[in-house]
Amino acid sequence: MRKLRLIIKREYLTRVKTKGFIIGTIIVPLIGVAFCLLIIFLVNHKPTQTMRLVIVDNSGTLAQPITHNLDAKLENGQPEFTIVETIVHPASPDTVQQDLRSRINSEKIDAYLWIPADPTQSFELHMRNPDNFALIGPLSGAVDQAVISARLSDRGVHLDDIKEILRGTDLKLLKVSETGESVEKGQSIGVAIALVILLYTALLMYGIITMRSVLEEKTTRTMEVLISAVSPFELLCGKILGVAAAAFTQFAIWMISTALLFTYGALAAAGMGQGSALSGVHIPISLVLYAGIFFFGGYFLYSAMFAAIGSACSNDQDAQQLQWVAMAPLVFCMVIYSVVLNDPTSTTSVVLSEIPFFSPVLMSLRISLQTPPVWQIVLALALLFLTTIGSIYASAKIYRVGILMYGKRPSLVEMFRWLRYS
Amino acid sequence: MDAITLENVTKSYDSVTAVNGVNLRVRQGAILGLLGPNGAGKTTTIRMIMNILVPDDGSIKVLDQPVNDRTRDLIGYLPEERGLYPRMKVRDVIIFLAALHGLTEEEAGRRATEWLDRLGLAEWSGKKLVDLSKGMQQKVQFITAVIHKPPLVILDEPFSGLDPVNAATVEEIMLEMRAKGSTIVLSTHRMEQVERMCDSICLIDKGRNVLDGELRAIKQSYGKNTLHIEFTGSENFLSNPSIINITRLGNGVEAKLKPGADPQEILKAAVQANVSITRFELLEPSLNEIFIDRTTRA
Repeated sequence: MRKLRLIIKREYLTRVKTKGFIIGTIIVPLIGVAFCLLIIFLVNHKPTQTMRLVIVDNSGTLAQPITHNLDAKLENGQPEFTIVETIVHPASPDTVQQDLRSRINSEKIDAYLWIPADPTQSFELHMRNPDNFALIGPLSGAVDQAVISARLSDRGVHLDDIKEILRGTDLKLLKVSETGESVEKGQSIGVAIALVILLYTALLMYGIITMRSVLEEKTTRTMEVLISAVSPFELLCGKILGVAAAAFTQFAIWMISTALLFTYGALAAAGMGQGSALSGVHIPISLVLYAGIFFFGGYFLYSAMFAAIGSACSNDQDAQQLQWVAMAPLVFCMVIYSVVLNDPTSTTSVVLSEIPFFSPVLMSLRISLQTPPVWQIVLALALLFLTTIGSIYASAKIYRVGILMYGKRPSLVEMFRWLRYS
Repeated sequence: MDAITLENVTKSYDSVTAVNGVNLRVRQGAILGLLGPNGAGKTTTIRMIMNILVPDDGSIKVLDQPVNDRTRDLIGYLPEERGLYPRMKVRDVIIFLAALHGLTEEEAGRRATEWLDRLGLAEWSGKKLVDLSKGMQQKVQFITAVIHKPPLVILDEPFSGLDPVNAATVEEIMLEMRAKGSTIVLSTHRMEQVERMCDSICLIDKGRNVLDGELRAIKQSYGKNTLHIEFTGSENFLSNPSIINITRLGNGVEAKLKPGADPQEILKAAVQANVSITRFELLEPSLNEIFIDRTTRA
């Protein structure tokens, strides 16, 4: 056990100290979080200065309601807009416009709003910086509301009545759990697909990391020194567990940063009045736990296969040619997962999700969509566990022979023959 | 107690029998030269002693224990194929391997400092292996084989790649370890090193041990049948029916005599042929000669 611990420790530290791990684990999610926060900040960004606005009203009726609607406040409590002047029915429109433009250029005012005589024509907002969405948004809203309100009152309807009539309904999604209760079903198909992609990528990535780690010990000829100190089985287990520990670290960091992102993201979004969009994505703890268990089961299954492949090859090219053996079932999951997504309870879906090579991805997918009967989950886990033991046992046999073989890449038939060596 | 006991050990790979019924006993505290042509089965034998490979038949004991995962810690091993984690630091890799052999990390650290000093690597201890020359890497690997003071050390070509100064240091360390009671198995092709250091030898050819025992006894058993002659003049006197083999050396010849031949006959023939002789000595055969003799026979 002591030796196993030493191997795990070295493998773990070697992984987590690499630049790739630090970048992949910390910097990438940080950049992601920073990006989200930046977007939220920009969208949410309020102007800091009151806009000095002149309204030129050719209709004679709209200036007053628009002015009334422009009641937004800055963060410091000052109004967002001040109406410097309202010009109704200008005598010579061209002169007025010329004058207003020169006032903008000399920074006496910031913008002027041109209200056409006929409100079906375009309104115009003249300003130096027409990209300032923070100002344009509320202004456009105020104009729309004034015009719509005017049209409605022409037809004898009050705007507030319309708001009341058009108020949307709330469709709540409920999931009937196996205990017979209806619980709110938060996670969407989006979460399910994200889960499939995450599991597939992680299983593949960590499998290949394990394979390369074995291969490195072979190509650098470190292997023979190592197995003069530990048994090949200890070495294999230490390597798989060491990479698993690194994977766990990476996942823990990602989970925490995702939780932070959701918390902060939801808070920021709530500030914008759009809280429902993000808080609707609800990932239940049970799903995280199940997916975690299936992931690690799958990881041990696949990394044992990848380790065996690494041990049988003598260089990167050979390993790349042989790695399809372990990759094929994973790729198959990606090809077939939409079948499960469309109908998680069909016989095909149930059977596929019980097969140990697929269950880490497909059973997790089913759990995220609709919790399957407990016996199906237990059976899948039991089959996965037994297959993983078998896979590690077979890998250890191949590994024991492979790590000392150099030269021509063995065929699959030869590798199967190694299983029978003592 | 013997350091190593092999009884009727056999190992085959598919159709090739790499080791075929080898018997061997290595006395504790001795240096054994494990000799044999390339592909004779030396590495397979060593790997079976290390419990890296399992024999198909026969039994192997190390210090009276059947080989198993625990006997690994009794052995220090320098494999022929050298290599350590290239991106690990010299000191870290030594401590890691020493800890795997059962030392605490503090003890491993203390001994690593001593060994790095002794082999002139102190200033390299913080460097990565990949930054070291081949010879220096070789010395690091030698340290990892002996740092846990194993009662049995197996060194496969320990001198290859070392300059004469470092080779002398390694030789000195080996003799020191023998003085402290360690047993050393030295696998090498350099016969002069074996003659100088080994107490006994085991010569393996085509998977069988064709010769083993105390080096002195083996040489004596061959008897003094080799003439070392240094001379100037014609070589004609050497075409004598008593001489069955001639090896030309830089300054003379080594002539192997037929059993029962009289060396005086050769000397007489040389004097009659007016050859000026500067050295005429009857010797035991060199290990080199014995090696060639036993491995080219049939």
